[in-house]
Parts: sequence; structure tokens; C-alpha cells
Amino acid sequence: MKGLFKSKPKTPADLVRQTRDLLIYVDRGPDATRETKREEKMMELSKLMRELKSILYGNSEAEPVTEACAQLTQEFFRENTLRLLIICLPKLNLETRKDVTQVVANLQRQQVQSRLIACDYLEANIDLMDILIGGYENTDMALHYGAMLRECIRHQTVARYVLESEHMKKFFDYIQLPNFDIAADAAATFKELLTRHKSTVAEFLSKNYDWFFAEYNSKLLESPNYITRRQAVKLLGDMLLDRSNSAVMTRYVSSRDNLRILMNLLRESSKSIQIEAFHVFKLFAANQHKPPDIVSILVANRSKLLRLFADFKLDKEDEQFEADKAQVVREIAALEPKEGP
Amino acid sequence: MFQYPLDSKGYQILDEIGRGASAIVYKAICLPMNSSTVAIKSIDLDQAKADFDNVRREAKIMSLLYHPNILKAHCFFTVDRRLWVVMPFMSGGSLQSIITSNFPDGLPEPCIAAVLKETLSALSYLHDQGHLHRDVKAGNILMDSNGSVKLADFGVSASIYESSSSYGPLQGSPSSNLMLTDVAGTPYWMAPEVIHSHTGYSFKADIWSFGITALELAHGRPPLSNLPPSKSLLMKITKQFRFSDYAKFHESKKNKFSKSFKDMVGLCLDQDPSRRPSADKLLKHSFFRYCKGPEFLVKNVLHGLPTVEQRFRQSKIQRLLSLNKTEEEDEEDSLRENIKQRRISGWNFNVEDFELNPVFPNEKEEDSIVKQVRFGGETIIQEKGGDTDGSISSNSPGQTVSVAGTQILSDQVSEVSDDLVQNVGSTSEAESVISASDQGSVDGEMMLSSLLFLKKSLEDQRNEVMTMIGLIQGKKFTEMSREEQLMQVIEKMKVELENEKKKNAALELELEFLKLQYSSGQ
Repeated sequence: MKGLFKSKPKTPADLVRQTRDLLIYVDRGPDATRETKREEKMMELSKLMRELKSILYGNSEAEPVTEACAQLTQEFFRENTLRLLIICLPKLNLETRKDVTQVVANLQRQQVQSRLIACDYLEANIDLMDILIGGYENTDMALHYGAMLRECIRHQTVARYVLESEHMKKFFDYIQLPNFDIAADAAATFKELLTRHKSTVAEFLSKNYDWFFAEYNSKLLESPNYITRRQAVKLLGDMLLDRSNSAVMTRYVSSRDNLRILMNLLRESSKSIQIEAFHVFKLFAANQHKPPDIVSILVANRSKLLRLFADFKLDKEDEQFEADKAQVVREIAALEPKEGP
Repeated sequence: MFQYPLDSKGYQILDEIGRGASAIVYKAICLPMNSSTVAIKSIDLDQAKADFDNVRREAKIMSLLYHPNILKAHCFFTVDRRLWVVMPFMSGGSLQSIITSNFPDGLPEPCIAAVLKETLSALSYLHDQGHLHRDVKAGNILMDSNGSVKLADFGVSASIYESSSSYGPLQGSPSSNLMLTDVAGTPYWMAPEVIHSHTGYSFKADIWSFGITALELAHGRPPLSNLPPSKSLLMKITKQFRFSDYAKFHESKKNKFSKSFKDMVGLCLDQDPSRRPSADKLLKHSFFRYCKGPEFLVKNVLHGLPTVEQRFRQSKIQRLLSLNKTEEEDEEDSLRENIKQRRISGWNFNVEDFELNPVFPNEKEEDSIVKQVRFGGETIIQEKGGDTDGSISSNSPGQTVSVAGTQILSDQVSEVSDDLVQNVGSTSEAESVISASDQGSVDGEMMLSSLLFLKKSLEDQRNEVMTMIGLIQGKKFTEMSREEQLMQVIEKMKVELENEKKKNAALELELEFLKLQYSSGQ
């Protein structure tokens, strides 16, 4: 904070303008100036980012001031500062990258005259999302861009853009990257995209049902990778059990292919996967308009399923789970094959 | 920069060097990197305990931290249901294992200062980044062969910047955004406000744990570690306390430590978090002014230390042997325990004695130096009471009895008959073994054998209770049909057979360990 109260105190807007000038310089590339001068400027930029961060988050001595945050935010989005920051991020050192990520995250939630002006900016600069998503292919940038991306898709319009873009298909690969930290970050973003904005998600799933669930089943639910299957079946449950996705759910539980996949997951030796699979399987069983092929699969496997559920228990007692199980067992036990024997 | 291989084929596991509830740590070599040594932490992701979000957070934090005193991960990848975290191998192991092995009564003060200063630098960096460690203890402070010190294990760490997950602008009361409310950490080291988490806690909770860690390094173990961890948690809030054990621990160390050391710890263990210094500020404390460097630690701590592998094996054997402790010893313990139970209502950090002392109600506050530490929170006891006070209906001896309830049963029995004291002893030992496993330091095998042990003592008690009922009810009980009598005999013999088998297995295991130790000693 000291820097703020030197001979001529700098306003938050001054700091943003200074940051922007430095970014323009950094963005121009190394050829123009001497190495030492460049390093000096990089140091200055790092310091500025720290100051911006401490205005937005406060520090050990002071809480953030609403007015200062608003000034900063307004100046930040008045010009292309966000774009410059995103583009220059690979040129900054690790600590500054982290500060930038936190500043960008915070700015997404700052209101200026009760408007989220970050959202307006992103709508006009939606191609920035392409850079952020592409970050998952760069080991060094993935976690920084990933964190920013998750903050940006808090805005519904931005999330809709990403959902409807070609990028959506790439997530099926990103969440299976060998670097666990990056894969897990991509999975968190994927989940956010498919659960946060209910109406947008419902619309996306209905419009893209065929390719999306084909990919989802083959790449994720039937993946040889344990983590992928476990996360995928959990997310599937979250999506299908959401009231706003009821049309999608009805469609999903009418397919015998889907039922077959879920029954395979029920048989897994992993308890966690079994339990998550059960939460989806129960929807097939509870469906009051089961197609005949679903009924015949359930009837054919009746004794095996009932045996499975007989000693299917959670580690902790859970009334809801037991009630669900009892209902599923009743449904299956009461099934009659549509055609006579 | 060298990219560490992202699948298990790139590594060869050499030895197990640590084990927790859902993770095992190995010493291994990285094949494509001239077989350089690494440590691999293998976390079981299928266990309920390994909450996936926490694992993800740990991975992310470890990837993004960069500081000489923080243990970095080379890479993370999954191997079927396990997550492998490849890290630098710290050949000195944890400070906890160092003191257990070579400094059972604590480290010399200059060594403590050096270790703590490095740890504090790590905390200062961590806090500056907006992260809480939440599990600062000697077990998470590692030392390398060159005397460098690193803080490890971000399994429960949390980020202040991520905690405000609710949608909406960062306005209103900003301080509430900088507070966490979930309980995390290891009981002995946990700050009071972490246990009473209604009000939330922040960076200062790490400072408390840091203070406890200082005491741990000074005395060889944290305050109250003679109690099972879950009990310690409750005790902090007010519960029974074994006064005698604590007195034993006291000894004559009053003048062993410098005034500035005592003062530093006193600052950390202030009941009021806002009065504890920040990590940054604490670094400037006089205790850290003339700190020795890593060479000093190499000479005075690492010299003559068994390898990490040897120490791990040793601790395994120790745990196994403790299972076979004779029942007479425990008899004494439990008697003393029964007599000298008192309530405490809070803590004093006694600067002169350099101990964290319990405060007993109805006692005069004699010492002005003493900093009063109070714990209210009766309600917490009620919430958590179920954990320890499993209730038992004593009228049907045949019913199964919950593990936690055993102590109560044994107390009742001991009042009735002195002959049963033996059982009380064995039961409370089994109980403490099980409580220890809550903390995750015991593997499945150990768990099973201690459970079998408990089962046996429960069966013994059941028999004794049956006999007593027989005595009281007189004839009724002796008028058993012949068949019933035979059944009882068979039952008894079965139990005996089971015990023999178990003893045999334990001995075999012990033999195995001794062989291992022998071969590694060659």
C-alpha cells in the first residue's frame, strides 16, 4: 500500500493505466529494448499487479473499499486491459501469473453501478474464451487460464458461448489428460458448464443430445480410466436429477444402451462408482413409462439385480438412500414382461 | 526443464517409507532420469476419506507453489484408483520421525530455532498467497540430507480466495470472505477457534499449530499426545483429563529453554487469534535472530540417524509390539486413570514451565504470568458426544457393544468386582489402539488384529458378566441343559483356538518384520 501514498498518491485508475502501458510494452516483444530495462519493467508490472490485488481483496491492514474497487474495475474494462493481460500472461513469472489470475477472478464479480461490466466486456470480446480454453493444451498455462475461465463462465452469456462452441468437444479429451492437476481442473470447468446455468444447460442438452451423450457414454462412462468413469457417472447423476433437465432425463432413461452402460457401472468393484451409478440407475427403474426393451432387460436380470441390492449399503446410514433402494427393489420385483411367457 | 514421466512405468518403487489412512509413501527411482531418487505418495481415491475436491485442491496448490521451504510436486497422475504424487525425496524424513527415533526428549534449542525459522518462511509465503496450511506439525516438516527444511502435505489446506464460492459481487463484509468454517487438521495441533468453528478462523490458526509444533520439537511430542486424538479434541472443549500422566510428562525442563523461545511460543498460543502475531511478524522475533544454517542441522540432527526406511520399519514393529503389551501394565494404567480423573475448563500456557496446561475449574488463578485460555462450547460436546459415549443397555449381555462404549462398560464392571480389572485393562488398551487408527496411522492389518483383540476381551467380559448374573440369580443359571453346557464349552474352546491362531499370526508377522530389519541391517 505504501506505493499509494508516496509524493503524489496514485488513484486505482492510475494504477490500471500504468499497468496497461507496461502490458503494451511487454506485448511488443523483446527486440526493441535492452534486457535490463525490460527486466525492470517486468518487476514494475509485478508490483502493480500486487497493488491491484490488494485493492480488490484488501490486505492484513485494510479491508477493500467499494469505491476504489469500482474505479479500478471501470478503468480496467474501459480499454483492452483484460485482453493484454491474457495475452501477456505466458511472459510473466509464476507469482505474477497467480496475482493476475486472482485479479481477473475478482473483477468478474465487481459491480459498477449495479452492473457486472466484466460481462459486457467479455460479450464484446468473446474470442478471449478461445484463448483461455486453449490453455488446457499448454501445461504451464493450463491452471491459470483454467481458473480464469471458470470465473468467466459465471456469466450466463459467456457459458452459453462456450457450450455452443466447438470447444465443448475438446473437453472430453482435456479431462483425460495425463497431468492429473490439469485434467482435474478441466473436469471442474466441464462440470461448471453443465450445471451452473440451468436453463442454458437444459437448452444445450436438448439441442445437442445425440452427439453429446454418444461422446459422454463412449469416452467417459466407458473410459478405461477409473477417475474419468467416477467423475462422469457423478456428473451424469447431477445433470439428470436436476429438475430443469427432466426432458433430457426422460429421453436418457428410455435407451437400452444407456441402461446397459449403467448396469455395467453398477457391477464395478469400486464402491464409489457403484453408488453413483445407482443414483442414475434408479431413474431407469422408477420411470413409469418404461419402453418394452428396458422392461425385458430388467426382467432378465431381475434376480441378479435383487441380489446385488440385498447387500448394497453405504458406509454411513442414509435414510434417503435406503428408501430409494427399497423403491427400486419394489419396482423391479413387480415387473411383468410385456409379452406373455 | 525435465518432464517427469506421467505413468508408473517411468518409476521403480524401492521401499515403503510412510503410511496413512488413504495414502502410502514410497521411496522410488525415476528410470529415465538416471534413476534419481524420488518420493511417491500414492493416494487411494476410492476411499470415502479421499474427498475428490480436496485432492484436486491439493494438486493445484502444490503445482502452483514455489518456495525453497515448500515441498513441491514434480507431477501428478493416476494409476488405476490411486493418485501418484511424485515429489523430491527428502532423505531425513519428517521431524516427527527424527525426534521419535533419535530425540525422544526433544531437539536441542538451536536446532528447533533453525527448523522453525524455515517452517515459518514457508508459512509466511503460504499466507501471502492466501492459503492456510491447516495441518502444521512436526510430521509435516521434512528435512533433506543437506539440512534443508520443507513444509509438506497440503491435503487439508484451503485457499482464502477460493472459499467465497457463492455467486455475486465481493461486497458486503469482506472479512467474512476471509474466514473458513469447516473443521480440519490433526486434533493435538488444532487451534481452539478451529474446534469451535462457529465464528470461523483464518491464518492465525496455523500460528497456533506452529506454537504446538514448537512444543512438540522441544518435548518430543505435542501436549496431550498421551491421549487418543479424538479424546484430545473433546478434552479441549472440557472433558476428563488424566492428571497423573501429565505430571509425569512435566519433569524438570523448566530452565532448559531460553526466555525468547518461551516468549515466542507464548505469542503463538494466545487464545485470542487476533493477538497472535502473523507469520511475517513472528519471523522478526528475537528467537529467530541468530539462527544456525543447514550445516548445523546436518551435524546435529541428521548425523547418525537411521534411514527413513529403517525408521519406518522400526515404527511398524513398535506398533505391533505394543499390541502384545502385558495386561498387568495396563491394569495399573487404568486404575490410575480411574482414580485421577478431573474436569478441565480450558488451557493455560505456562511460560515458566513451558507447557500447555489444562485449567481446572474451582481452582484459584495463582500465577499472573499464566495466560488464561477458555473453552466454552458445551453444545459441541452434545453434538459430538455420540462419538465417544456410545450407550449400552446392560441388561442383555449377549448383545453387541459398540467400540466406543467399551470404556463405560468396563468402568461399570470394575466397580462390581475386582476380579475383572484385568479385562478392563485389556479393553482400554484395545480401545486406545483403535482410536489411534482413527488418525490413520494404522493399516488394515493392524486394525483387524486390534479389532480381534477387542472382540476377545468383549467375549471375556461377556463370560464374566454371565457368571455374575449366574451368581446373583443363583440356580436359574446353573440349571442349564447339558446341551447348552456343551455348547458353552465348545464356544470357549473356539475362542481359545481363535486366540491361539491370532497369537501365532502376530508372532509370524513379528518374525517377518525382524527378518526384514535384520536383512536391511546387513
